[in-house]
Amino acid sequence: MGKIVAVHSYKGGTGKTLLSVNLAATFAKHGKKVCLFDLDFRAPSLFAILKVENTEFWLNDYLNGKCGINKVIVDLSSRLQGNGNFYAALANPATEAIRDMSAKDRKWEMRALGKLLSLRNTLLGEQKFDYLVFDTSPGLQYSSINAIVAADFVVVATTGDRSDVNGTRRMLRELYNLFEKKTGLVINKVLDSTSKSKKDEMDARIKNVYQVPMLGLVPCFCEVLRAEGNLIFAQDKPNHPFTKILDEMATKIEANEVN
Amino acid sequence: MTREEILSKKPLHVLEKIRENLERLNEKMEVMIELQKHGHKDIQLLPDTPLDVMTLLSMPDHLRKTAMTICRSGRATADEVSQQTSRARAVESAYLNQLVIMGYLKKERKGRKAYFYADRDSQG
Repeated sequence: MGKIVAVHSYKGGTGKTLLSVNLAATFAKHGKKVCLFDLDFRAPSLFAILKVENTEFWLNDYLNGKCGINKVIVDLSSRLQGNGNFYAALANPATEAIRDMSAKDRKWEMRALGKLLSLRNTLLGEQKFDYLVFDTSPGLQYSSINAIVAADFVVVATTGDRSDVNGTRRMLRELYNLFEKKTGLVINKVLDSTSKSKKDEMDARIKNVYQVPMLGLVPCFCEVLRAEGNLIFAQDKPNHPFTKILDEMATKIEANEVN
Repeated sequence: MTREEILSKKPLHVLEKIRENLERLNEKMEVMIELQKHGHKDIQLLPDTPLDVMTLLSMPDHLRKTAMTICRSGRATADEVSQQTSRARAVESAYLNQLVIMGYLKKERKGRKAYFYADRDSQG
């Protein structure tokens, strides 16, 4: 049976979407069957990054019970090299849809959790997907907690920012631990991590602060910023250091090396 | 069916009823024992509160584990839950019945088995 991997963070701007897209693309490059989900209903972004046009059904429709998941997932395998399969399920970016998703009540959220959990049977079980990657909204919101509860593994993206560090520590203790979730920490936008000694020192410090396994350290790459969301590095820049770091992370998750 | 056959079935039917009642009594006792162990603080009757993630977060750890298992499997017996949580069947039975009393789960009997589930469809 495949796995559901949720990418989450305490604050916004930690690079969740960048990590989600590239992690999913890397799994596909490794020959896996992958579906990337945009669960950030308040700020949908995958439709723009993946440049998908003429979407008939959105993930919103699936959660609203208007259609099955197969009407929503779009096959983007032809865009990637290799023999993997890459699909995406997109959130509706229309203002009205965002407003609608923000006004859902608790009973709707409970049913939405049931719909996310049932993907385990439909996509992982019947359709033999290897990975479902959930790109979530930051912080403690219904949609992101639903995604975490449904996931097998949570990639926690964080930066060196003090407020982010404190919030992430609290979330590890009061959210992921309570739901007994396996987690792997990714420190993004790291400065001065080029030398091995600096990297090791940082690794030890982070383990001490967060008390959870490290999945990866991602240096701040100007090329990533310069790309302005127009490139999927795992696909378009196969030799870039960022792509190599993502490759290591995906390999660790595939080998169950985290935790 | 002959008269003799009907008569021979009757004691069996009565015994079956007695067994069912004993099982229900046993479940109630299990809940009472658990309530005594944890005190009454866990039981807050909130009939309109759905079993969503915020409810799960606010639950005591021992009940959250049981409730999470039902959320994942959709519908399960105490025996099936105990296989997932590696806790004793009697313990899970008590926790499941507590969650029913609290209004988070529904219970349905089918023959000798009692199934527990979160009623997602009838709400809202």
